[in-house]
Formats: sequence, C-alpha cells, structure tokens
Amino acid sequence: MSYYESCIHALPEGSDSASRLALVAKRLGYSGIIICNHTGYEKVFRPEAVLGISRIKVAFGIEVVAPNPRSLRSKVTAARGKYPFVAVHGGSEEMNRAACENPEVDMLVHPEEGKKVLGIATAKAAQKNQVAIGLDLSPLIRLRGNSRSRWLQIVERNIILARKFDLSFIITTCASSRLDLRAPRDLQALAEIAGLESFEAEEALRFPGHLLDDNCRKWLGPGVEIL
Amino acid sequence: MRSHLPVLRIRRRYIAFEVDCEGPVRQSDLAAELTLVQTSLWGDKGSSLNKIRLITFNGRFGLLRCAHSRIKETRAALATIYSINGNRAAIRVKGVSGTIKAATEKYIPRLSLSNAENERRRFELEGISGWIIHSRGREIDISPDEKNETKGSDTRYLGLTSFDLCGGCYYADGTADGVRQGYNSIQP
Repeated sequence: MSYYESCIHALPEGSDSASRLALVAKRLGYSGIIICNHTGYEKVFRPEAVLGISRIKVAFGIEVVAPNPRSLRSKVTAARGKYPFVAVHGGSEEMNRAACENPEVDMLVHPEEGKKVLGIATAKAAQKNQVAIGLDLSPLIRLRGNSRSRWLQIVERNIILARKFDLSFIITTCASSRLDLRAPRDLQALAEIAGLESFEAEEALRFPGHLLDDNCRKWLGPGVEIL
Repeated sequence: MRSHLPVLRIRRRYIAFEVDCEGPVRQSDLAAELTLVQTSLWGDKGSSLNKIRLITFNGRFGLLRCAHSRIKETRAALATIYSINGNRAAIRVKGVSGTIKAATEKYIPRLSLSNAENERRRFELEGISGWIIHSRGREIDISPDEKNETKGSDTRYLGLTSFDLCGGCYYADGTADGVRQGYNSIQP
C-alpha cells in the first residue's frame, strides 16, 4: 500500500489543521502525507498535534514560491537544510527551467500553470538532476468544460515528454482543505483520464515515500552516506 | 417466458459512498450534481455506458449503481464532485459490491446520522477564534470570526481535531481541552 499524498497546505494557508488532514488521509487509505505550505506560511498551526494520530506518517516540507530564478536558488538552498522535502511552485518557463536545473529540488509542482508545455531543455535538466514532475489534478476536479479540456491538452503533452525523458511523476491534489483530498484509487482513475497508465499512476503515488526515505538519510555527497 | 437469457443479463455493480459536506445534502441535489458531473466529464455517450443511478441516500451514506465494467470511470466522475448545492463537498467511496444487500450490510453503518452534535461554543487559540459549529468523534468544525481565514480554500469552516485543542484552552469553562464533556465527548 504505502501511498503518499504530497503537497498539502495546512492551516494557516489552508483551512484545516495538520492533525485533521492526517486523520482524513488515514481514513482514505494513505500511509503518509507531506504538508508543504507555500513560502510565507511555513509556521503550521500546532504541528505537534499530529503525534496523537497513529499509523500515518506526517512530514513537513515546503513549497518554494519565488519571483525570479535568482531568489529561487537562494530560497531553495536555505530550505534544503530545514525540510526533508522541497517542492517548487512552477508556472513560467524560466521558473520551470530554474527549478529543474537545481539538484536540491525534489519536485516541480504545476509546471503547466503558465499554459505552456515543458520545454525539451527543461525535461533534460530534470532528468539530470532527478527532479520529479508534480501532476496536480486539482484543475481536473475543479474546472468544467472548455478550460478543463485545455488543461488536459497541456498535461497530455507534458506526460508524453516526461515519458520520453524517463522522468518520475508525483500525483497530488494540492489540497488546501480536507474536502480537496481524494482517495488513492480515485486519484488513479483521474490520472488515467489525464493520460497516465495504471501502473505509472500507482508508482507515482508511492514515489514520495521513497523520496522521503532517501532524504532523511545523511548523505555526505553524491553516493556517500554516513551510517 | 423469461425476458432475458442469463448470458444477456446486464451486470451491475453497487458503489457505497459517504458524502463529506459542509451543509445538509438532499437526495435530489446529489442526483442533479451526479448527472451534471458525469455529462461534463464523459459526455452523453459515456454517461449512457456508465449507467449511473442513485439508489438510496440517507443524508450521509448512499448507494449507487453502475455498469460492472465502468467502475473506474464512475469513480473518476465521483471524484470530480466539488460542491453540492453551493456547499463544498467531497464523495468518499466506501466499497463496491455486486448486490444491494451485500453493499448495504458491508459498507453502510446502520446508525449513521445521530452522532453529529450541534453546539454553540466559543473557541480561541493561537490567533484563531470562532464558534464551534459541530463536533463528531475527534473532529471539530469551527466557523472563524475572520472570514478571510478560509479564503484560500473556498470552505466555510475550519477543520480541527481534539488533538489541536488539548492543553491549549484551560479557561474554556471547566474542561482542559475546551470541548464539553458529555455523551459523545472526546476521551483523551
């Protein structure tokens, strides 16, 4: 099982506290969640309360938002030491590129926000630096009609490109309340609409767990670990 | 004469689900939203293949029927429900079964409606203040005083748990966790 939901926004950014999100996620069948508030909302409301909830792992990461590539680099370096999981809020072409060229970034979330597909150079950089592409399914849930079909077009292109360059996916809903959370099998069904294969979707739901385990080990350098 | 040969019988699946909504939900509103959502996602042709029909709904738990080969598509359509009659909502699938009897016995609890408690109590903690709207088990919903607390997520209430309140609210008349001790109170 070991499905993970990454990139959830808790109080004060979202409307539910970390422990409530953990409780609902456990009921839905997740074995762990990663709470990633945007920069500016890092101080989560009562993070120690999640210790009362058993059989679910709750990790605290960050989703970096930056106005330009230069400040992105400094913010990511500062966040890397503090958090086990660093995501970057993508959007414009240059921000996607800057995020993928940084080996300290774990995930690039909603790269399709600027209504542009990923470039070849960005995909190559992501492959080299092992940056996962976050497939944010919340537009599929929230939008209707023409805007949703436009979004599907862009995402299908991104998936084809990511398959070609062998990038890893992470499926998320970028939930900011418990009502935005969906069960893992619902997300699989939605991801198949967006164009992923069934086994790819399953792998994408497990991937954050592996990533988190790797990040929690003490790496001295690439390939060297302190035991 | 029998109307259908056994091999031509239509095979069905029954999906038991739970509605998580901020306000009360009526069966007619849910049925309307279901039709809207599935025609938006699958179109007219896809909806005719899905054969979704709402069988029962008691305000929280319900049962719907779909074609046996289109469970995944039905799940996807249910997952895209965002609001019901203007209230934020989400549908959680509890399980899938082949007969109404099995689905009801396995997945729908018999006493489901009576345990939500409505109480008007005040709550103040670490910059968040408001009225407790209702609490069920460990879950507590709060209507905040400042309405822009929830502007990022379209919801009306803040969701907390009793773990958030423990030890933070000593002055809230009597109890340490700020929630009334009573018949479905929260035991630490």
